Amino acid sequence: MAGTSFSRLSTANTYDNALRNLQNKQTSLANLQENLTSGKRVVVASDDPTGAAQAERALTRLSRITSDQRALEMQRNSIASAESTLGDAVDALQNIRELVVSAGNGAYSASERRAIALQISGLRDQVISLANRNDSNGLPLFSALGSALAPFVGPQAPPQDYTFNGLPGQTASSEVAIPFALDGDRAFMHQPARDGVYNVTVSNSITGSIPSSRTLQTGNVTIANSALVNGSAYTINVTGVDTVTVPGTTTVTYNIAETPNVGGPYTALTSSFSTAQQGPMTVTGMPGLSLTIKGTPAVGDTIQVDTSASVFSVLDDAINDIGNAANGNAASQAVSQALHNIDIGMERLSAVRGQAGDLLNRADRITSSQEKRSVQLEADRSRAEDLDMIKGVSDFQNQQTGYQAALQSYAQVQKLSLFNYIS
Amino acid sequence: MSILNIGTRALQANQVALQTAGNNIANVNTAGYSRQKVILETVQGQFTGGGYIGKGVSIQTIQRNFDAFLTRQSALAASTKSADTARSDKLMQLQSIFEGGASGLGASVSDMLNAFSDVASAPTDLTARTVVLTRVDETAARMRAASKSLDDLQAGVQQELGQKVDAINSLAKSIADVNGEIAKTNGLGQPPNDLLDRRDQLIRELNGYIQTTSIPADDGTVGVFVGGSQALVLGTTVSPVGLVKDDFGDQLKSKLAINRAGTQIVLDENTLGGGEVPGLLRFQNNDLVEGRNLLGRLTMGISTAMNDQHKLGLDLDGNVGGNIFTPTTFNGLNVLQPVAPATLNAGGSSLALTIADPSKFAASDYELNFSSASAGTITRRSDGVVTAFDFNTTNPVTLDGISITESNLGTAVAGDRFLFKPFATSASNISSVFSTPRALAVASPVAGSMGASNAGSLQQVALTARTNPPTNVPVTLTFTSASTYTRSDVAGVFNYTPGQSIEGTVPATTPLSQWSLTLQGFPKANDTFTVQAMPAAIAKLNAGNATAMTNLRDVPMFDGAAMTDGYAGMISQIGIRAQSANYAATVSTTIAANLERDRASVSGVNLDEEAANLLQYQQAYQASAKVIQIAQTIFDTIIRQLGG
Repeated sequence: MAGTSFSRLSTANTYDNALRNLQNKQTSLANLQENLTSGKRVVVASDDPTGAAQAERALTRLSRITSDQRALEMQRNSIASAESTLGDAVDALQNIRELVVSAGNGAYSASERRAIALQISGLRDQVISLANRNDSNGLPLFSALGSALAPFVGPQAPPQDYTFNGLPGQTASSEVAIPFALDGDRAFMHQPARDGVYNVTVSNSITGSIPSSRTLQTGNVTIANSALVNGSAYTINVTGVDTVTVPGTTTVTYNIAETPNVGGPYTALTSSFSTAQQGPMTVTGMPGLSLTIKGTPAVGDTIQVDTSASVFSVLDDAINDIGNAANGNAASQAVSQALHNIDIGMERLSAVRGQAGDLLNRADRITSSQEKRSVQLEADRSRAEDLDMIKGVSDFQNQQTGYQAALQSYAQVQKLSLFNYIS
Repeated sequence: MSILNIGTRALQANQVALQTAGNNIANVNTAGYSRQKVILETVQGQFTGGGYIGKGVSIQTIQRNFDAFLTRQSALAASTKSADTARSDKLMQLQSIFEGGASGLGASVSDMLNAFSDVASAPTDLTARTVVLTRVDETAARMRAASKSLDDLQAGVQQELGQKVDAINSLAKSIADVNGEIAKTNGLGQPPNDLLDRRDQLIRELNGYIQTTSIPADDGTVGVFVGGSQALVLGTTVSPVGLVKDDFGDQLKSKLAINRAGTQIVLDENTLGGGEVPGLLRFQNNDLVEGRNLLGRLTMGISTAMNDQHKLGLDLDGNVGGNIFTPTTFNGLNVLQPVAPATLNAGGSSLALTIADPSKFAASDYELNFSSASAGTITRRSDGVVTAFDFNTTNPVTLDGISITESNLGTAVAGDRFLFKPFATSASNISSVFSTPRALAVASPVAGSMGASNAGSLQQVALTARTNPPTNVPVTLTFTSASTYTRSDVAGVFNYTPGQSIEGTVPATTPLSQWSLTLQGFPKANDTFTVQAMPAAIAKLNAGNATAMTNLRDVPMFDGAAMTDGYAGMISQIGIRAQSANYAATVSTTIAANLERDRASVSGVNLDEEAANLLQYQQAYQASAKVIQIAQTIFDTIIRQLGG
């Protein structure tokens, strides 16, 4: 039933095939045109599924870098603000120091010393407000791991006159972020065993202040063994002064009372020193601490050793002791204590300021590495998704030429038929 | 006389030949027309003493040129092409529902999670919180829109299937009618060319809808079989096909069934072969279901993870956070039992689904088969992996992050079946649940603090609450050296490694509970760290939970990919299917075109050939007319001579 099919063509089928080819070429041409106008090689996911997924992932990462960088900018602003605030605080402390030094002038009277104390109190208020400063979002700069809106509260009733109303500690930096806040507790608050900030005042239980006829000065409390320091305050009472038993040597007998009482009271302690040199008398009864006293002690002399909870407490003590100093002895005692303690306070502020500087450097490094990543990701996205314009245009030209050739040949071939030659 | 006869016969034969050529030319563009050729034979010669004298020409038959093998091949290839093209077109539509780029679902999920980092920078700023709410809303809206588009596509496919099944039935009826007419002409001796052409054309059209096998019978009729062996048309009897739901009455799937004398036989998809209807069925039952499950898994994973994390935080008024997205609930649309006419479940088993772990979801339906009263197997339909279960030992059974709870233990009967579709409904009505910026829970319920007299370099990397309100707080860690510490809640000495997490529970539970702490740096002896409940005064300024929300971006969730990469994976999965369907369609179209050309080269009309035939038979006609004229002249001569 079959005729020979080796070299036979059906007319209708030939038209169908030619039409199908033309339509295929037209569709390819339209697709290439869409690629050119959109600039994308991957218009729908089925053009290149892995490329589409890569481009999508690159976009996600790019937007994430943008959002991380925005957060980093805010963090950097906070830390920069904290760093400059610490600088301001150190400047204020420097000014206070100069004022304290000037208060040590022996020629000043009590009213002049009160005037200086007033100036110091103005600067102290400035330091407190610096410590409680907020950033542009209303969050405290020195909130450590979390604090109330004003982290430093005080003065309250002693013994803890100034407190840090928050959770001390420091958050760590990550690969894309730095902390929002610095540890205010570490900057402004003092710990007895770590910092050794003590305020020593001298008085006499009988006459009130040390009379001007003799001098009684102490050095600064030093830490002999920090493991033994327990943060209590001590009162040294001189109970006996013996200059007679050993000629040329004064032997002082004293008690030490401890508040709050941990291991004391320590009684009947003695210390000897050369009478002519007026000291130094070393007080060793306080656990972990040691203190030297110079001058001429007498019975009834009371030396009060108090801890200082924060740098604000140090300033408060300076204001009180300098402003209310009864005589030059008390004044120079107050000045020497204040200078030592203010130096320790400035040291601590500078240490934390150095940390802030480190964090800012780190923020710069993070920014530059994020920028490099962004550039890389954009290149990845482009490689996955974008059209190589040169190749695209050249493909389009080829397709266009091919389509034109197909159309022309179709028009020509259909004119050829035997019927044209049969008249 | 015989010359006249010869001439007349020749004239008639050539006239018929011319008519046939004319018929071929007229039908050059008729679909399914097989060209006809006149077969001439010579009339038996008459015996005379001088030899056999020929008596002219007669028409033996009008032959229809066709090749049964090529016709069958061409119909088969066309059927495959229709299936591939139908599925490919629908996959392109499915793919356009999930676009990438800045306006896609993936970008809105990523923007939503990134917005939490702005809240972490400024927890008291209501604007930043409002931005988060807006983005949450946007994400929910895009998920709903995608789900709605899937529903529309489903409805469209369903409607098309209905129309095409009707077309199959009407074509089957026409074939049966033509069978009847051909059977009537069977005894007449000549093949009914036009009827045969018509039947072949009908069968070819039918193959475009569904692949068939034709088997000719002895009475000239042809039996048409679908699904390998089910008779659609047998002689003049038609068994119509129809669409039915599968055993579980799943609204999202369809099956083809054939109705033989009142009995409905469901045809297995794998036996249907090519054709538009099987292509659409494959798309609906496999590709569309997969797309819906992928979308549902994305929705459920993200909404569950974010809801859970939000509940681990405190809002601006100190309250525990609520849901951000509508929580997922499973109902009767997610747990299906067999419906008539399949065998119903005989036992009283009652199964319910709950979410166990969003990071383990697999985008698939599950079929559960009981082999005894409480044990059996669960098959994951996407890849066919089978897991055994036994409710007597573990109830609920957890598989791929979904827990199945049996409430009537031991009442099942062997052979009971259930179908679970956990992801089928989650995207359809998801929305954001709250609208007050103050209710966004960004504060962490636990806080850490270091001892004020710490001398080492400890820093807090992360402190995450795993239970809210917090349990097992406060706990103080006291470091005895740079690498060991003791705890206030549990006795013993523990090792400290910077960067390694310290859990509230010792040993750590799965999933994690209470809290997790990570420290770095080197402590000195007697340094402490305390984990405590977040004090109320500090809670307003804390943004620990906002940071935890942004960390969700990296939680591996979708087949191990991070949460924000889940959409990219989805796009590429659907894109791969569309791409391979495209390739298949291209290949099968080319094959079908080639085979059709081969078939047409046997059966098709070539105009040049017909033109040549016309000339040939016209000349023969003229010659035959001349023969008659000569016969007439001879006759006239005889009459004239004899008539006087």
